[in-house]
Amino acid sequence: MMSFILKRLANGLAVLFAVSALTFFLLYFSSGSIARNIVGDQASPEQVAAKEVELGLDQPIVIRYFSWLGSALTGDLGNSWFSSQPVTQALSTRVPVTMAMVFTAMILIALLAALVGVIAAVRRGWVDRIVQIAAVVGDAIPGFVIGILLVTFFAIQLGLFPATSTISPGANANAWLISLTLPVIALVLNGVTGGAQQIRSAVIKQLERDYVRTLRSRGIGEKEILFRHVLRSAAPAGLTVLSLQLIGMLGGVVIIESIFALPGLGPLAVLSTAQGDLPVVMGVVIYTVAVVIVVNLIVDLLNGWLNPKVRVS
Amino acid sequence: MTLRKPVLAIAAIASLTLAACSSNNTSTEGEGTQAQTLTLGIIGEPRSWDPAQAHVGHVLQPYQVTYDSLLLREPDGSLSPMLATEWEYNQENTVLTVDLRTDVTFSDGEKFDAAAAKANLDHFKQANGPQMNQLRAVEAVEAVDADTITITLTAADPSLEFYLSQAAGLMGSPNALGSEGISTVPVGSGPYVMDEASSVAGSQLVFTAREDYWNKDLQKFSSVTLKTLTDITARTNAVVSGQVDAAILDPKAGQQAEAAGLELVSNQVDWTGLLLMDRGGEVIAPLADVRVRQAINYAFDRETILEQVRLGRGTVTSQPFGPDSGAWVEELEDTYTYDPEKAKELLAEAGHSSGLTIDIPALAAEEPTLQAILKQQLADVGITLNIGAPITSTFTADVAAKKFPIIQYNLFQGEPWVAINQLISTQALYNPFKTTTPELQAMIDEVQTAGTEAGAKAQEVNRYVVENAWFAPLFRIDQMYYHNAKITVEPQVQQAVPSIYNYAPAN
Repeated sequence: MMSFILKRLANGLAVLFAVSALTFFLLYFSSGSIARNIVGDQASPEQVAAKEVELGLDQPIVIRYFSWLGSALTGDLGNSWFSSQPVTQALSTRVPVTMAMVFTAMILIALLAALVGVIAAVRRGWVDRIVQIAAVVGDAIPGFVIGILLVTFFAIQLGLFPATSTISPGANANAWLISLTLPVIALVLNGVTGGAQQIRSAVIKQLERDYVRTLRSRGIGEKEILFRHVLRSAAPAGLTVLSLQLIGMLGGVVIIESIFALPGLGPLAVLSTAQGDLPVVMGVVIYTVAVVIVVNLIVDLLNGWLNPKVRVS
Repeated sequence: MTLRKPVLAIAAIASLTLAACSSNNTSTEGEGTQAQTLTLGIIGEPRSWDPAQAHVGHVLQPYQVTYDSLLLREPDGSLSPMLATEWEYNQENTVLTVDLRTDVTFSDGEKFDAAAAKANLDHFKQANGPQMNQLRAVEAVEAVDADTITITLTAADPSLEFYLSQAAGLMGSPNALGSEGISTVPVGSGPYVMDEASSVAGSQLVFTAREDYWNKDLQKFSSVTLKTLTDITARTNAVVSGQVDAAILDPKAGQQAEAAGLELVSNQVDWTGLLLMDRGGEVIAPLADVRVRQAINYAFDRETILEQVRLGRGTVTSQPFGPDSGAWVEELEDTYTYDPEKAKELLAEAGHSSGLTIDIPALAAEEPTLQAILKQQLADVGITLNIGAPITSTFTADVAAKKFPIIQYNLFQGEPWVAINQLISTQALYNPFKTTTPELQAMIDEVQTAGTEAGAKAQEVNRYVVENAWFAPLFRIDQMYYHNAKITVEPQVQQAVPSIYNYAPAN
C-alpha cells in the first residue's frame, strides 16, 4: 500500500516537472514582447531593452527555466512581472476562495448525483426519464449562463445575495457563505445532472448482473443488495466521473469567478495568461496540477478501499 | 421502501439554503455604502504603487487617492495649484520655475520640499515607467531653495505643465522611492492612506482619510474602496445592486443601469477608426496613393456603424483630434461623408477599377462586430480586406515592428502635442512606418514652440492628416460612466473615469 502511494507520488512529481517545463517553454515564445507590454506603448526601444535585462529575458531559455525551477524548489515562485506582488502571496489569498467553492460544489454534486442517480436506477419509469432529460439540459446550459440568471434573479431582483463577492481579508464566515452560495449553486446545477446520469448507468449495469439475481434468489432484501453490494460495485465508475468533473471544474470556475468577481484563482489565471505574466502563470499551473495529482491519488485509494478488485497488488 | 428519505433530505437542504439566504439579507443591506464611504468599481489596479510607474486615464485615478500631484487638473482641463503654488516659464519656454507648498508631509512623516520634488522628478526620469516619456524633454531639475525648483528642458515641450498634473507630477516620499515596499504599499502625501490589512491585490483596495491632510476640500469621504471588477457583467451587477457607487460600463450594459435609475456621466475621450499606417506603401503599395486612402474614408457609412456597434452612443467624425483639444476644426468633422460612388470613382482614378485586395495580418481585437461591418462596407466599393487571426498579447510590439499596415483601434484624444507624438510625428508608436513630409514636419515644429498657441497651430496638422487621409476615423466614443444617487460625479475632460477629486457625497 505504502509503496503504491510512493510510486504514485513519484509519478506525480514527474508529471509536475514535465508540465512546468512545457508551460515555461510555451510561454517563452510569446514572452518576446512582454517587456514592451510592461513599459507600455509610449516607451522607447532603450526602455524596452532595459526592462528585458531587468526581467532576465535576455538570458537563454534553458538557463531561465532552471533558475526558476531552483527558486521554486525552495518555495520561492518569484514576483509578478506586472504587479510586483510575490506569487506565493497572490496564491495564498486566492487558493482558499477557489478551493472552498470547488470542494463545496463537488461534495454537493457527489451527494445529490448519487441520490438522484440511484433513485433513477432503482425506480426507473418517470423519475428516470426526468433525470435523463435533466442531464441533457444541465449539460447543454453552460455554468456561467446559470450564474448570470441566478445573479439577475436572486441578487438584483430579490436582493437576497450580494451581486458580486464581499469576501475580503477581514470578512467573517457570513460574507463567505453569502458570497459563495450563488456560485456554488451554479456549479452544482451544471454538474449534478451529468454526474447523476453516469451513476444511474453504473447502478443499472450492476443491477442487471447475475450476482444480484443470485442474491435475490437467496431472499436477501432489496435494501441490503443495493447498499452492501450494488453501490459498492458501482462506486468506482461514479468516483471516476466525479473526479473528472472536479478537474474540469477547476477550469470552469474561471468564468464563474469573473461573473461573481470572486477573488479566486480564475481571474488571476486569465489576467496573467493574457498579459504573459510568466511567474504568476507558472504558479497557477503548478498549483492546479498539484491539486489534480492529489485528487487522482485520493480517488484511486478510495476505489481500492471500496472495491478490492481494483486494488493494485 | 426507503426512497422517501432522500426526498426529505433534498427538501431539508433546500429549506436550509433558503433560511441562510433570508437571515443574511439584512446584514448585506447594512454593509452597503454609507454617505461617507466611496466605493468604486475599477477595471484594473495599478501594477506598482511607485508613482513613477503611474499611467494615464482610468489607471491614474487610484494614484490620485493616495498621491498629490504638483499641479491639479480641473474637470475642464485647466491647471490649478496643488503641491505647486505658482509656476512660470522663461521667455524661451525652456526653463520652468515652480514654487512649492511648505506645509505638506508624506504619510511616513517625511516633509515635502524642493529636494523631495527633485528626487521624484529625477526618479521618474530613470525608473522606466510606462509614462517615462512625459519627462523626455527635461534636461535637469534643480532645487533653488527649500520651496522652489527649476525644470530645465532640452527643447520646449507644450505638454509639460499638463504632465505635471499627471503621472510625472505625482509626489512620493523620497525615503520610499525606489524601495521594494512602495511597489505594493503607496507612500504619498495624498488625501487617503492605504489600509493594508483590508486590501487584497487584484480584488479590493481600501483607503482611509488621512488625518491633518493639508487640503480638506479634496478629502470628501472618510474612506475610499476600489473594487477590481474586470468583467463587465460583474461590474454592471455590482453598480446596479448598489455594491459599488460608480463604475464604467458600455452602451449595452448601460441600458440595464439606466433601467435601475443610475445616472450617466458621459464624455468623449477616444475616437475609433482605421489607422492607415502604411501610407507610404511599403507593404501595401496602393495605400501610398491618397485617392485610395480617401476612397476608404468615403466607403464608410459612419452613422449606421455607430448605431450598430454602440447603439448610437457617440459622434461621427472624420478627424483624429477631439473638440476639447484645441486642434479640433469644426468643418473637418464631415470631410468624408458616406459616398460609395465617389469611393469607386477615386479607386478607378487610382487605377483600381477592377477592385483592390488588401491583406493584413490582423486588426486589433477591439470590436468583432465593427470589423465585420468595416469589411462589408469596403467590399461594397470594391476593396477586399483579408484579415488574419486576432493578436492581443503582442499587439504593441507588433505595431512597433511594422507588422500591421492598417489597424482598427480606439485612440485617446488628448492634448494636441500628446496626440501628435502618439499618432503623427516620426517618433509616434502609431506611425511605425515613420511617414512624414517636410511640409508636415514644419507644422509639427511650429506646434512644439507655440506655447499657449499650440492648439491653434495643431489645427494645421489636423487639417493636413485629414485631407491626406492618414486615418479613416469613424466616431468619437461616448464613455458610459454610471453612478448612484448617493454621490455626485463631475466628468473630467479627456478621461473616461473622472479624477478622484470629482466625487462628492450627494448630501
